[in-house]
Amino acid sequence: MEYFTILMAGVAYGFIVGLIPVAGATVGLIAIYSFVGYFDDPYMLVVFTTAIVVSSSIGDSFCGVVMNIPGAGGAAATMIDGFPMSRRGEAARALSAAISTSWANGLIWGLLVFLFLPYYSKIVLYFGTQEMFTFLIFSMTCVVFISSKYYVRGFIALIGGFVVGHIGMDPETAAPRWTMGWEYLGDGIQMIPVMAGVLAFPELISAYRMKAEKIFLDNAMIKSQLIQGVKDSWKYRWDGLRGGFIGGFIGLIPGIGGNIADWFAYSQTVAATKNDDEKVGKGHVRGVIGCEGANNAQKATSYVPTILFGIPGAPFEVIIMGLLMYVGLELGTPAVLADTRFFDALLSSYMWSLLIILPISYMFIKYAVKITNIPFKWYFWPILASLIWSSTQYTGLKEDYMMLAICCVAGMVLKYLKFSRVSFLIGFILSARIESSYLQFTGLYEWGDLLSNPLAIIFLLLAALAAYWGAFKNKSRIDFV
Amino acid sequence: MKKLVIAALVALGMTVSSLPVMADFTFIVPQKPGSGTSVWTAIVAGELEKHLGEKIKIVNIPGANDIPGFNKFHNDLQHDDKTVMVSHGGNGVSYLVDPVDYDYYQYDPIGMMNLTIINGHSPGFNPYTGIIKFSAGSGMNPDMMAHILLKGGPDLTMAQAEEIFASQYKYIKGMSGGDRRLSFQRGGELNVTRESTAAYNKYYNGKEFSKVWFSQGVFNLETGEIDADPNWPNLSIHEVFEAKWGVAPQGEFWEAFELVRNFRDVMQKALWIKKGSPETDRLRAAFRAMAADPVSMAKIYEKTGKYDWIIGEDMVDALDILREQIQPTTLRNLVSFLQFTGKPAILKEDLIK
Repeated sequence: MEYFTILMAGVAYGFIVGLIPVAGATVGLIAIYSFVGYFDDPYMLVVFTTAIVVSSSIGDSFCGVVMNIPGAGGAAATMIDGFPMSRRGEAARALSAAISTSWANGLIWGLLVFLFLPYYSKIVLYFGTQEMFTFLIFSMTCVVFISSKYYVRGFIALIGGFVVGHIGMDPETAAPRWTMGWEYLGDGIQMIPVMAGVLAFPELISAYRMKAEKIFLDNAMIKSQLIQGVKDSWKYRWDGLRGGFIGGFIGLIPGIGGNIADWFAYSQTVAATKNDDEKVGKGHVRGVIGCEGANNAQKATSYVPTILFGIPGAPFEVIIMGLLMYVGLELGTPAVLADTRFFDALLSSYMWSLLIILPISYMFIKYAVKITNIPFKWYFWPILASLIWSSTQYTGLKEDYMMLAICCVAGMVLKYLKFSRVSFLIGFILSARIESSYLQFTGLYEWGDLLSNPLAIIFLLLAALAAYWGAFKNKSRIDFV
Repeated sequence: MKKLVIAALVALGMTVSSLPVMADFTFIVPQKPGSGTSVWTAIVAGELEKHLGEKIKIVNIPGANDIPGFNKFHNDLQHDDKTVMVSHGGNGVSYLVDPVDYDYYQYDPIGMMNLTIINGHSPGFNPYTGIIKFSAGSGMNPDMMAHILLKGGPDLTMAQAEEIFASQYKYIKGMSGGDRRLSFQRGGELNVTRESTAAYNKYYNGKEFSKVWFSQGVFNLETGEIDADPNWPNLSIHEVFEAKWGVAPQGEFWEAFELVRNFRDVMQKALWIKKGSPETDRLRAAFRAMAADPVSMAKIYEKTGKYDWIIGEDMVDALDILREQIQPTTLRNLVSFLQFTGKPAILKEDLIK
């Protein structure tokens, strides 16, 4: 009963943060960081965070469709076709198509991931130091060359994040490194202020200044449009499934996801409708279905690298890793991989959340739209307060506030100069992992040993392919981040 | 813009005003939330509150080598009568060989738990003859030295120990606890590992990929020697050494090992308060009550394995014994050997004056 209560709380909270422009799973999870100490039972936290992820994915479609501003990144592609539909009085149809497609792909990919995840964990035993080292090289290459059209700036941002992530202690000598004598930095710059300052704060400011448009649902039309939206999802199921496949695949690659999966799925839908009479991009439901297919699928598969290797598959997974670490569940370790209760909690909470959120989002669609119509300045204060609160739990001292301020300024500068903040964050987050992987590799092997490892060779070839495609063949010219 | 600034200030105000009411006692932990010592402190503080009758707030002040938190207690926070420092074994190693501000002998000790460390190896690997592959780290140094001691045999000199390290040892840097466990379980990459008793039981005991090698033993308060570990009969390091080599361990390398091992393990988890604090006696009494409460201790043992508390004056005696073990030659040998292995250890002249 306690688990069910916490699941319902997570679903409700996730749905609401999903409805709030720019909030979504990442900000919603950051906000609960300061309350994590109240979770005596670690599996309750697994249930709560999973429910938030699932329900926020459904909720964030609303912003794009009815406000013409992006939700938590994921809805940016949805709004291209979703909002023109709303203007035509088809908001409920667009939302219904988005929800049903996202939900169906969430179910398919969720089952594939969470039902079989305990079996995938056996892979880890064959994934040694060489494989991990080359897998990280492949991931970094994808982040730089695929996540943004500005790959040179993406590379600089990645290096910047990597350098910032290096501040702290030298793992080789255990001596302070690049701390400039500031003891506070001795254990490195903490993840929460960086996530809050670099990623969330600039979006908050943008949303505050963004002009949202208000759409109201027509009571008489809601029921028929909801049914029509479901019919659309079935009619254009291959677009949705293709989007799901793209999202599912991209979620597996550490560090890229979110916007990339949605935009990529959207661009493929555009490509598939070149000869269609009704052009996608001007308010066609196929555009909504194409990108929403990737939404939940990507979220489900991003759990795979996070749980198996302790490498976050998406930015929100970074927060989940930190939260679960707090209650003693260190993802990517033998203890968690052998913990059947953990996998049970994950599977059941994911599936139950999906089952619960579907009727909720349909039954309360009218009220959900009303929530999105609340002026953003009303959300601004509590969201900012929760970001500050969560970012200052490290020591609670004035240095925490200083660090958050520095991160906020850095985030604004990166956004203004169009340096990929996601690349920066991935460089920061994986910095320690890359360094430790390098140290382990050089401590145990010679470079030539890679040539006798088939999996390592495959990852290096994939990295080269990703770099080539990103630099010379990626003509979509979509700025994913 | 003006509105934004006002919004930020209001948000800041909301944050500060929502801070929880300050607890009666504050326990400083020099590691991140979720770390071993943080989890241990949360369990102990939860049980101690029942016997203390006051609330305890845990504050994490992490930093490189877990030194900044303890330094901050020493330089600043200890002046509060109700602020308690929770140190762990790594702080003991740093006290001997790193530049730190803190000094155990300047506080009132409250209580400590002499937890020990268990070492295991891959079943098909002979650690006495093969090249050992073990994960490096400050807290790992006493274990690495124990491996070399067991390989080297009686009367091992510092030069011989260095030769063994150079030719028969791979000390792999950059491994977290999770990496270490996975690499050991995978087999081949690491062939020796170490854990606390509770963690060893959880991850390795009874598994086909692991065989217990030795326990670091427990400290005898009467003699200052390493005693048998009640959790691991006949497996304490001196017992394993004698079984292998037929004589008790001794010599300059053994003494250097014993020094760093004791400063790590005897004070594996220890609590300190300002010297002369009016709260010292009350805290010690609460600890004694907690140590006598089977319900409280059952919860703590679940996390740590069954090890006794050393409380109050007994802890002062233990500290005196440890101080006697800091002999000039022993400390010089220890520093010199750790430097040889790549650790930036320093010789602290003030410890041997």
